[in-house]
Amino acid sequence: MAKTRGVIDEADQPDRWEAQLRKGAVEMAALASLWRGRLYGLEIIRFLENHSRLALAEGTIYPILSRLKAEGLLTSEWVEAEAGHPRKYYSLTETGRQRLRVMAEAWMSFSSGLTELLQPVFEVQETTR
Amino acid sequence: MNAEIQIDSYLTALRLHLGPLTIAEREEIVKEIAAHVRDSAEESGTSVEAVLARLGPANVLAAQYRDGLLIRQASRSISPLVLLRATLRLATKGVFGILVFLVGVFGYLIGGGMVLTAMLKPIFPANTGMWFDGEGHFMSSGVLFPPPGSQAHEVLGVWYIPLALIVGSLTLLFTTWAIRTSLAVSQRWQSRL
Repeated sequence: MAKTRGVIDEADQPDRWEAQLRKGAVEMAALASLWRGRLYGLEIIRFLENHSRLALAEGTIYPILSRLKAEGLLTSEWVEAEAGHPRKYYSLTETGRQRLRVMAEAWMSFSSGLTELLQPVFEVQETTR
Repeated sequence: MNAEIQIDSYLTALRLHLGPLTIAEREEIVKEIAAHVRDSAEESGTSVEAVLARLGPANVLAAQYRDGLLIRQASRSISPLVLLRATLRLATKGVFGILVFLVGVFGYLIGGGMVLTAMLKPIFPANTGMWFDGEGHFMSSGVLFPPPGSQAHEVLGVWYIPLALIVGSLTLLFTTWAIRTSLAVSQRWQSRL
């Protein structure tokens, strides 16, 4: 009962709904940013800003990276940089690559299904213009 | 110089709030956040103050690490205390967590209660059992002081012990499984923006 009410509350607030949607995608996005090679935290944040609309609160990504590492999806190494301090670089493990492939496939089939479903909504918008 | 003091005080607060983690984990996090602050300030030319503001308060950042650890440990644990502690934390975050916490509390009470009554049966044989009335309707079960009146008859006898042990243990097992599964699911939901 209470659960149903919670769902309705969230649906009533488009911003909150969008925030929930983004939350669900952050983990996949963080994994995807490492597909081509290792990056450190700030590079991941910038990568997500530049390649997606996932503008992250900067502190958010670090606990997520720590969790993904604990789950065995990422590894990390400290690398000395010319900046004068070492940076912690993350890369995907084989498990991480597999998980990301599964997530990406699920995401693509889910979103293409929804795009089709939502098509009429856009058509109505165009005809009313 | 002022910037260094700001960074140090932020990191000190972070270290303090990361208390429950091991020293090695804590220092690794602090080192990573320190590198982030320096890189971010240098890269964008913004003040350390602005970079720290974007990171959010040290206690909030630390709480995200702690929650992750708490839930991760609990989703592998079988200790009711560890599991309930994690669900209590989850309960502060929304309806789903509250439901999980309630299911956990009731599950442990019912399961634990049944196991306890099985152990009390040899001590209070007349007060422990499952009673039906003359017409065959269920009246009560468990440990009752005083035992139900003469119109009630106890149907299980010593079989109450294995039966209560099995049902109680299954309830405890199911509760443990339900909490661990919910915690594992919630891990994905908890990633915050």
